[in-house]
Amino acid sequence: MVGGLLCLLAASAGAQTSTGQLTITMTVQSSISLVFKDNPAVGTAGFCPLTNAGTNNVGLDLGTAQFPGSTHSSTCVNYAHISGAVYEVSSAFDVVVTKSNSSSANYRLAAEISTPPPANVAWLINNVTLSTTTFTTLDSTDNFGSAITKTLQVQVKNTVPAQVLQETITFLATAN
Amino acid sequence: MLSKHKSIRNLALMALLCMAFSGAANAQNPTASGVINANLVNKNGISIQFDTNSSGVTLGAAGTSAATANFGAVSAFGPLSGGVTRPSVTAANYTVRTIFDVQVVQGGLASLTYTLTANLAAAAPIGLSYKVDAVTLSTASQTIQTNGGYNTDIAHNLDLVVSTAAPGAGGPAVGTPITTVINFTATAN
Repeated sequence: MVGGLLCLLAASAGAQTSTGQLTITMTVQSSISLVFKDNPAVGTAGFCPLTNAGTNNVGLDLGTAQFPGSTHSSTCVNYAHISGAVYEVSSAFDVVVTKSNSSSANYRLAAEISTPPPANVAWLINNVTLSTTTFTTLDSTDNFGSAITKTLQVQVKNTVPAQVLQETITFLATAN
Repeated sequence: MLSKHKSIRNLALMALLCMAFSGAANAQNPTASGVINANLVNKNGISIQFDTNSSGVTLGAAGTSAATANFGAVSAFGPLSGGVTRPSVTAANYTVRTIFDVQVVQGGLASLTYTLTANLAAAAPIGLSYKVDAVTLSTASQTIQTNGGYNTDIAHNLDLVVSTAAPGAGGPAVGTPITTVINFTATAN
């Protein structure tokens, strides 16, 4: 009887515990990101502010412009007559590409426009004309994490009828 | 006269037969009885199980004490599997998170709550660290919760903090599955 009680007491003396195991599995993948940022000179001539800056989907309003009289409404764009019959409006911004879990030293940058522009209208990045059929290489060895300044240019001949010129420009960064 | 005597004799015989049958019907059936002396030793105990949280990844072997959680492919900027979120991305690292439930059941104890601890079964792989409810895990036991309630699912965040460094430069291996075991212990308070 006493022995039995002692056994019961001994059994209940230790804290009750229960253990379990959770096994975690994952596969890490290399990845890179691209965001557009306002250039530090934003607001001055040639550096219009982006809407939604700091993301990969931004807006850039170049205002209103016309050939006669070199007239343009925006104070942040650069406006110029680049020939006797063509004017150009431009604004610069920054592209930042970041890498993660990658040994890549740098990346190449390309761009493409989404819809064919009207006749006598051209969209360019740093003087490279963009097309709808292929990504046009802008740079071949840009450094990750560095702000790369790019200038968007729209060139319009004076024969182009009045209209809204709108374009979606896709940038593609590819790790080397 | 003789016929009358025969009738009286027959009546007497019938009366005797009736009395005989009536006596047989009144005799008692034999019976037997017994008792069972039963006993049960009710032991106290505590158990732990992992359950899938509706906001987290679907656990393998959910409802058991040996479950699995597969985060799938994780990256700083790429898509993630369902039930996996990426609450933070910095230049140095990023965190991927899932939520899982722990349910502890006790019986026979006066305990109202339990303490939950966890530890890694082995050192964390290079470039990775593991957190449960913001407590960074190591191979030594770490307290996760001190007042867990019994018999209910309690959600816990499981964070994997992944270095953004490249493989060989302090970052994790890329493109191959990495498996880590976390031991959990529930102790009755």
